[in-house]
Amino acid sequence: MRLLQSVQHKACADGTYMKEYTLDEPLSADFFEYLKHFGRVEALEALGDGYYNFTKEGWFSIKGFAGDTSVEVRFTRDVMDMVSGFLRMLFLRYRPGSGQNGADIAGLKEKEKALEEQIKRMKGR
Amino acid sequence: MPEHPLIYLNNAATTWPKPPEVTEAVQEALSLPAFGTGRTAGTEGTDYVSLAREKTAQLFNAEEDEICFTHNATDALNLLIRGFIEKHPHCHVLTTALDHNSVLRPLHEFAKRGDITLSVIPIDKKTGTISPKAAADAVTDETKLIVMNHAGNVTGAVQDVRETARLLHKEDIFLIADGSQSAGHIRCDLKSLGADAFVFTGHKALFGITGTGGFRIQESRSEEIEPVRFGGTGTLSGNLYQPREMPERFEAGTQNFTGLAALAAGISYIEKRGIDEIHEQGMRQSAFLISELKEEENIVIHNEHPKVHVISFAIDGLCPDDIGFILSRKYGVVTRTGLHCAPLVHEAIDGGHGSVRMSLSALTTDEECEAAAAAVREVAERAASSVRSA
Repeated sequence: MRLLQSVQHKACADGTYMKEYTLDEPLSADFFEYLKHFGRVEALEALGDGYYNFTKEGWFSIKGFAGDTSVEVRFTRDVMDMVSGFLRMLFLRYRPGSGQNGADIAGLKEKEKALEEQIKRMKGR
Repeated sequence: MPEHPLIYLNNAATTWPKPPEVTEAVQEALSLPAFGTGRTAGTEGTDYVSLAREKTAQLFNAEEDEICFTHNATDALNLLIRGFIEKHPHCHVLTTALDHNSVLRPLHEFAKRGDITLSVIPIDKKTGTISPKAAADAVTDETKLIVMNHAGNVTGAVQDVRETARLLHKEDIFLIADGSQSAGHIRCDLKSLGADAFVFTGHKALFGITGTGGFRIQESRSEEIEPVRFGGTGTLSGNLYQPREMPERFEAGTQNFTGLAALAAGISYIEKRGIDEIHEQGMRQSAFLISELKEEENIVIHNEHPKVHVISFAIDGLCPDDIGFILSRKYGVVTRTGLHCAPLVHEAIDGGHGSVRMSLSALTTDEECEAAAAAVREVAERAASSVRSA
């Protein structure tokens, strides 16, 4: 799955920066299952085809409905530039079924760890 | 994009839609040169500044010379607070936990700089309001100013400004009331309210556009506020100092003619409908929404008896931000979520977690309220079933 383009963006009242992205294919429950490897997922499965909110604490959150081809991403402002590549990678490397099998999860976890170190160094400065 | 027609319930932030006469006034104002008094020899068009002053004074039962225009309510509050502190340096100031950051931030900044000492009066948990007695009890020998909201933007509670003013005027304390959420919703008779200064904004219930606001100050009390902006007024131009007469004392630079044309038209609309009818409609619709939301066990309503048209709620187990997102995307219902620039109110009512706010205007329809109530109830029901099935 790919993030195609940011169709809307604005600074939010909670201090985050929101970007709405269109996707090249619809979101699925399995995609959010896969995201659980990288953060917290809250779901309201009884609403439409399911509402999902993924939070990678201190980095970004992703909100969306299964079946929709758009997501709302809220970035923590001070790390936005550093983590937006990882966000794209999360979408790009997802394959249907990887929610359970975790085909590319090890590689992503390595990237995640390296990024965590970079952020720690940046914040320690 | 939402599959449903837009139902805009964020009128406590900015009203939408505007009455047709407001849109027409903006178009008309832009179709001719500006004919503001003192700044042109032309007399062909409307002097929107004078018209807006006349309309605002009528609405508030005030004198025209007591009305000063600013960019918005925050701007008016900054001007009044700073001007008061220049006149009364190092005084003690009171404010309340119900107030908005437009009051809290300037006051906390001045306190941090050592220009004032500050006390925040807590909310009376029984009534959800500020008790006038608590305000009087917080007064010290150094207290010179209280800044308090008239109607709350989170709970819709209305403060007893009149009684607070009566008690505090005994100590010659200056009272600034923030009417951002009351002007246009409830009758604000400033001759009887008791506030020395009353702040309003144009773009909310008065149906103007963004970039307009102001305050009414009793002429006899205007010297308590030093002017803090200096510049052209179109009057007494040979004088190198800011005129001390009202309203020029506080108005410098070219006014927002287009915005004031909209404000005048917005107030005309309110006059035409009648403030009491607008209030009655909003209270009826608010009561309907509250009664509907109360049907769901997992909905918490933060004030079941608001006095202006604001309803704040939460749904157990769901973050307010998620509720706002779902309502907007799936039902086309636009609300506002989070702390609403009023962190101390939320600290008191929900531990700082935030809420979802639905706020109505005179143009909100019963059908919109019915659709919004159904949407919120459906989200709450689905949330409850998700929690149960988890």
